[in-house]
Amino acid sequence: MDAFNNLMYGFGIALEPINIAYVFAGVFAGTIIGMLPGLGPISALALMIPITFAMEPSSGLILMAGVYYGAIFGGSTSSILLNAPGVAGTVATSFDGYPMAKQGLAGKALAIAAYSSFVGGTVSVVFLMLIAPLLSKVAVSFGPAEYFALMVLGLTAVVSLSDKSLVKGLIAAVIGVMISIIGIDMQTGTERFTFGSIHLLDGIDFLVVALGIFALAEVFYMLLRGGGGKEAPRNAIGSLKLTRSEVKQIAGPVGRSSVLGFFTGVLPGAGATIGSFLGYSMEKRIAKDGDTFGKGNIKGVAAPEAANNAACTGSFVPLLTLGVPGSGTTAVLLGALLVMGVNPGPMMLEQRPDVFWGVVASMYIGNIFLLVLNLPLIPLIAKILDLPKPLLLSLILIFCMIGVYGMSFSVFDLLLLLGFGLVGLGMRLFGFPAAPLILALILGNILEESMRRALQISGGDWTTFIDKPISLSLLVIALLSLGLPLLKTRRNERVVSAK
Amino acid sequence: MTTLSLKHFAVLALPMAALAMTTSVNAQEWTPSRSIEFVAPANPGGGWDTLVRTMSRVIQQEELADESFAAINVPGGGGAVAWAQVARDSGNPHKLFATSPPMILVPLAGASRYDHTDFTPIARINTDYSIILVSADSEYQNLDDLFAALKDNPSLSVGGGSAPGSMDHISVAGLASAAGMKASSVNYIPFSGGGDAMTNLMGGHIEAVIGGAGEAVGQLGEGSQLRALGVSSEERLGGGLAEVPTYQEQGYDYTFDIWRGVMGAPEMPEEAVEYYETLFAEMLETDAWREASDQLGWIDAYQDSDAFATFLDEQQEQFSSVLTDLGLMRQ
Repeated sequence: MDAFNNLMYGFGIALEPINIAYVFAGVFAGTIIGMLPGLGPISALALMIPITFAMEPSSGLILMAGVYYGAIFGGSTSSILLNAPGVAGTVATSFDGYPMAKQGLAGKALAIAAYSSFVGGTVSVVFLMLIAPLLSKVAVSFGPAEYFALMVLGLTAVVSLSDKSLVKGLIAAVIGVMISIIGIDMQTGTERFTFGSIHLLDGIDFLVVALGIFALAEVFYMLLRGGGGKEAPRNAIGSLKLTRSEVKQIAGPVGRSSVLGFFTGVLPGAGATIGSFLGYSMEKRIAKDGDTFGKGNIKGVAAPEAANNAACTGSFVPLLTLGVPGSGTTAVLLGALLVMGVNPGPMMLEQRPDVFWGVVASMYIGNIFLLVLNLPLIPLIAKILDLPKPLLLSLILIFCMIGVYGMSFSVFDLLLLLGFGLVGLGMRLFGFPAAPLILALILGNILEESMRRALQISGGDWTTFIDKPISLSLLVIALLSLGLPLLKTRRNERVVSAK
Repeated sequence: MTTLSLKHFAVLALPMAALAMTTSVNAQEWTPSRSIEFVAPANPGGGWDTLVRTMSRVIQQEELADESFAAINVPGGGGAVAWAQVARDSGNPHKLFATSPPMILVPLAGASRYDHTDFTPIARINTDYSIILVSADSEYQNLDDLFAALKDNPSLSVGGGSAPGSMDHISVAGLASAAGMKASSVNYIPFSGGGDAMTNLMGGHIEAVIGGAGEAVGQLGEGSQLRALGVSSEERLGGGLAEVPTYQEQGYDYTFDIWRGVMGAPEMPEEAVEYYETLFAEMLETDAWREASDQLGWIDAYQDSDAFATFLDEQQEQFSSVLTDLGLMRQ
């Protein structure tokens, strides 16, 4: 009952007219920001610090949190419509979202993304409310060895998705890790593979590679296919309505991925990305129609979308209960809270219950706003697909370039974007999956750094990875996720050859 | 010699600086003719970014300048990308950037083509200090306990939020020297930020953490999972850190400043430097600044352009000797 009373107290704060206005403004701005690649929640929040400075801390955090989860909510749009994931957490959404859009089901894909995001967001707020203080222990129990194991699991899970060829999946993943190595090595300060170029000192940003090998490669592929002159099919948007059986189909994936996403989000680091990929590969494994994943399966949209929104809420756990930011975005939030005179940490629940419970309650309201706001917008936004193909392709090109240039103001990055577009085209033509490459790029740094940190702490003793129970179990699951598909193909081959 | 006297005035009598500006209005005084690009050589959210944004905001809020300060993030290479960009803008009086020890350390490590002597020092603004943290249930009650254990078993890990050879590492290595250890024998584990290091300390994955005092203050106090063993300041700090003894109190003759300041494009005109010096000195006196720096745990440590330049040279010398001990000096 305690939680209930606290929540009512929180709603008392969140339902003040001014705070309702802030939630609305936050999620609205967030949705727009999320739709544009390159304009991530981090820069948006940093720009808002001066605005929130004079506000009540609870109002300030309500507004900024709204921008953050609003951006994750809106982030799926460009993944689905243009195959251009703007943030790492929505890469997995494009796997089935974009094929659905190509089949004229864009409206449905966007609607599923919105519903799943809503459920993921709301379920995770319940968890945040009930067990946040307990979870802070989970968050700190992950040291370098455990992170290494988690990253390995994330990678093997996505490699095992590539059903055509495990080897090609592994090759793509290795290339991704190699790209992640470029830049200044955090552990020693040494430059690696920068060829003396100052532009490569900080490595290659995820966005450049993602927009290149997904969106730009798609543009090149369509050009190669000579589809330039064809008119887009009429009514490319399709209906937004879900049938009863479709709702039934996605209910399970959404529920499971919401929980999974929340728990991965609690871990400081790559919560939303790992969460969405793990959610996606788990559902593919469980589903009877797993082989249609990647070809426009609605569950392939629902799972990652529920997971990434849940992870976003989860990332508030270490921020609010430990005062430790788990990502760049929550680091900016922490900075803003400090400026407003709130010290997040173990004592925050007692010292500033208004901030904690006010924000939790506002998340319920914010998620409802997001759903109500996004659903009517879908037909409008999806109209983009009605554009004639030459126009659409040019639009995607411009969209990607603005996204990349707006992030770094570097012409060099534009050339890289083009380069990765060609790499992506090559990968498509020769049947290499793009997902392992991009995930390996995102996780590569944490993978390497946590491995080296763990070894430095253990004095170079490799058994540290199997001595720790969490790390050991994650590594065993990782091994299974690679091994089982192998066994399965072996058995299938044997069955085929027996016939 | 109005220039010189004005500078001395600002140092000796900070509160008078505002007055000094109003009385020194004369024909040759320079004022910005367009908005000032104020570069944070890093992504939003870090120390440089916070300094740039807080200063811009206070200056705007208190209407101290006619033109606005536009905060610009130029991330990359631990600052090197931004420095290369500013270095190309020689003589531009409308370009400033935030700076701190990496301005010295990154070039010393050979990771930047430009070092502090390539830019115009404008003013040192404030400072933070290093703090040594251990877990609240740890057996170490003071620095003696910790260093006794470290001497016994040098493989015990000390985490920090920056790369080897960068601030946190230099700070703890210098302290280890003062404690009679070899600087390079500290098993320093670099994490991706102070917060990351502290989480690992709470989880018992490492033995101790060296971090910024301002960053740690929120983690200390009642119900905390961490304990502070010492700060690198000369005198005890105030507020939530009043209970934490200094290194010197515990018999370790060592202090470490995490200073922050502002530099400008190379060869910035003298009058412009003067304008900014006075402006920042004035800013430090405002209530809005007071309030913001109290929240952020910053301690004012103003120096004008000349004093800052000398200070930077001294820092370079001090850091090179520690880096040489660590074997991280550029050959």
